[in-house]
Amino acid sequence: MDTSNPAVFVNGELLHMHVGRRVRAVIQVIQSDNVGVTGKSTDGLQVVVKGILPSFALTNFVEVIGISDGDRSIRAEMWNNFGNTFDTDNYNQLCKLANGEFKHLFI
Amino acid sequence: MPVNLTPNAIAAINGGDVNSKPLVQVMDIKLIGSTQERYRFLISDSVSTQHAMLATQLNDRVKSGRVKKGSVVQLIDYICSTVQNRKIIVVLNMETIILDCEPIGNPKMFTESESTTQKATPNSNIEHPVRVNNYNTPIRGSFNPQNPGTFNTQNPGSFSNQNPGSFTTSNSGTFRASNPSTFWAPNSGNNVQGFRPTVQPPYQPPPNYRNHGPILKNEAPARIIPIAALNPYQGRWAIKARVTAKGDLRRYNNARGDGKVFSFDLLDSDGGEIRVTCFNAVVDRFYDIIEVGRVYLISKGSLKPAQKNFNHLKNEWEIFLEATSTVDLCPEEDASIPRQQFSFRPISEIENAENNSILDVIGIVISVNPSVPILRKNGMETQRRILNLKDTSGKSVELTLWGDFCNKEGQKLQEMVDVGFFPVLAVKAGKVNDFNGKTIGTISSTQLFINPDFPEARDLREWFDQGGKNAATVSITREIMAGGSKNEIRKTVSQIKSEGLGRAEKPDWVTVRAFITFIKSDNFCYTACPLMIGDRQCNKKVTQAGNRWQCDRCNQEFDECDYRYLLQAQIQDQTGLTWVTAFQESGEEILGCPAKELYMLKYELQDDIRFGEIIRSRVFNQYLFRLKIKEELYGDEQRVKITVIKAEQLNYSSESRYLLDLISKSQRK
Ligand SMILES: [Zn+2]
Repeated sequence: MDTSNPAVFVNGELLHMHVGRRVRAVIQVIQSDNVGVTGKSTDGLQVVVKGILPSFALTNFVEVIGISDGDRSIRAEMWNNFGNTFDTDNYNQLCKLANGEFKHLFI
Repeated sequence: MPVNLTPNAIAAINGGDVNSKPLVQVMDIKLIGSTQERYRFLISDSVSTQHAMLATQLNDRVKSGRVKKGSVVQLIDYICSTVQNRKIIVVLNMETIILDCEPIGNPKMFTESESTTQKATPNSNIEHPVRVNNYNTPIRGSFNPQNPGTFNTQNPGSFSNQNPGSFTTSNSGTFRASNPSTFWAPNSGNNVQGFRPTVQPPYQPPPNYRNHGPILKNEAPARIIPIAALNPYQGRWAIKARVTAKGDLRRYNNARGDGKVFSFDLLDSDGGEIRVTCFNAVVDRFYDIIEVGRVYLISKGSLKPAQKNFNHLKNEWEIFLEATSTVDLCPEEDASIPRQQFSFRPISEIENAENNSILDVIGIVISVNPSVPILRKNGMETQRRILNLKDTSGKSVELTLWGDFCNKEGQKLQEMVDVGFFPVLAVKAGKVNDFNGKTIGTISSTQLFINPDFPEARDLREWFDQGGKNAATVSITREIMAGGSKNEIRKTVSQIKSEGLGRAEKPDWVTVRAFITFIKSDNFCYTACPLMIGDRQCNKKVTQAGNRWQCDRCNQEFDECDYRYLLQAQIQDQTGLTWVTAFQESGEEILGCPAKELYMLKYELQDDIRFGEIIRSRVFNQYLFRLKIKEELYGDEQRVKITVIKAEQLNYSSESRYLLDLISKSQRK
């Protein structure tokens, strides 16, 4: 893991807290075309991802690492397929812990 | 049957919601697009309309008449995109709910300014209850047809002033729509909608309002605003709301002297709720006027941050009435203001609810335990009564009644269950407790409704009577732990030694999450007697006698013997490593194939490569091991024997849930 360039775990709600910073989010892909990917964040919000688009077919759930572009939008740098089933509740809890009381434990 | 479109669906979608799967009406359909055929809908949520493009794969629905002008549809997958600086909804998947329907409401074109004042808050998100932002109007109601959520009841009936908890619905009236702003007039015909235009434009002072000089005096009567728009920076305001609960008059004695205080809760026609508190002389003015169920016009008072420890209403402010405040009873009943507002959670969702969160739940009472006296920490005695609720989510939960609830509602419920009747119980403002899985307990502001008359209750009743009674349910109480076993005791590998497990008279049963790090591949199984003794297999080790097998215990010979695991393995977690023994079933769980198959591979086929592959494929897998630990005498030596009773491949999802639960518990300490 590249610790010099950390990416904060975020859900849709938390994106605006990190505008301009590197974030990571798992989204459920709703629509994907040559302009970008629209998906649902782990807290059920619409998130639009543009920037570097994936060169491979996306699974239902994907992790996207990139720069928070403000409300509900990410400029992607890296994509990871997370498969077709994923426990979004757990991930959402993790996002909250990583931005809340246990922030200090996360880079 | 009247249909209610999902309130504020359009504003919510513009605010980023992709989750609520709302019901909307198609007001118009237009074929557009020069190169490609595309359909554009005008959709309505009964308050607003907006254009929505249909994904081309849905074109056929229009062509074949499966959706037409007037149809009520449920949007399944949809997004909101900006095209030429205009927001447009793109419908990717939908279902037609009602093909032909008269126009509902009197919707206006949705405008961007509204969208900035609407904060989309999907109600499926337990952890973020609808937060009422001071400068925004909250979304009014968040009804989710897939996930029965909030609604309001109209006539819950009597309320005892003495005890805010004893609110029963002996005389409940008709249920009304989920959306307070699109209520049907209660006595109107089915198709006549009592449509009320959207409330006043959302109140929107700039955040730096206070720096803009003094507020001009205006002696005209204050405008009635929604409770949700109340904020401390308003000079004059009035609200019209129903009292949903009235607290006891309490006397206090603190450093500043003696005094008295009482509070009551308000609900308005937009679903906004707020607590009102009065002190001392103000108590004398208003205590007797306030009656639960009545509607009042309230003006002048100061807004202070709500004390979240005691006040669980969805509002960050609380009203403090002052000498100049006015509280006027509205003599005429205002049917647009609901009697109560619920936001029921399915029991399955409570499994993931945060500890100490306050929520509403409705279920069938399937068992009631007797009331027992409990000594409180402060030495006072109180009553406790535990009952079990189940709902259509396939889960059940323990509800703990405290104090007066035990003898009033609790007694009534017990009498019903004792004669074989299982009542519906709605719990308003129960508190989630995560001791032993998840349980719900009453608090002083909890209200219980036995067999209330609203759709949620009727649906439950119907479900229960038509088979739900016999449907298997999993309790989220005590059984939430990963592995699913009751009273599971989690230990680390090093704790087995450091806590001296197995040294007591009885064996210790513990659960350990660990990796298999080594499997002894010699003598991993033994030849066992396949004969039955009563209803059990003999399983004694047999010896070969010529071409046949012989059991000393059974004193018999047979052609084929059984092969059973007797597996020695090492398991390891972050704290240490230990040897364990696994017999037949758990051995098979660890190796993923029967002992006989592995025996044949190694000793008959002598396929060491394949055999090695199987062993290696199981090593470094993580399992939840249920272990039996007991010290045994081997010759002169006492040795702790650890037996694997069950080896379950780790389920990362449920294990994460277990760990999150552990984190929230450690936070409490
Ligand atoms: Zn035998």
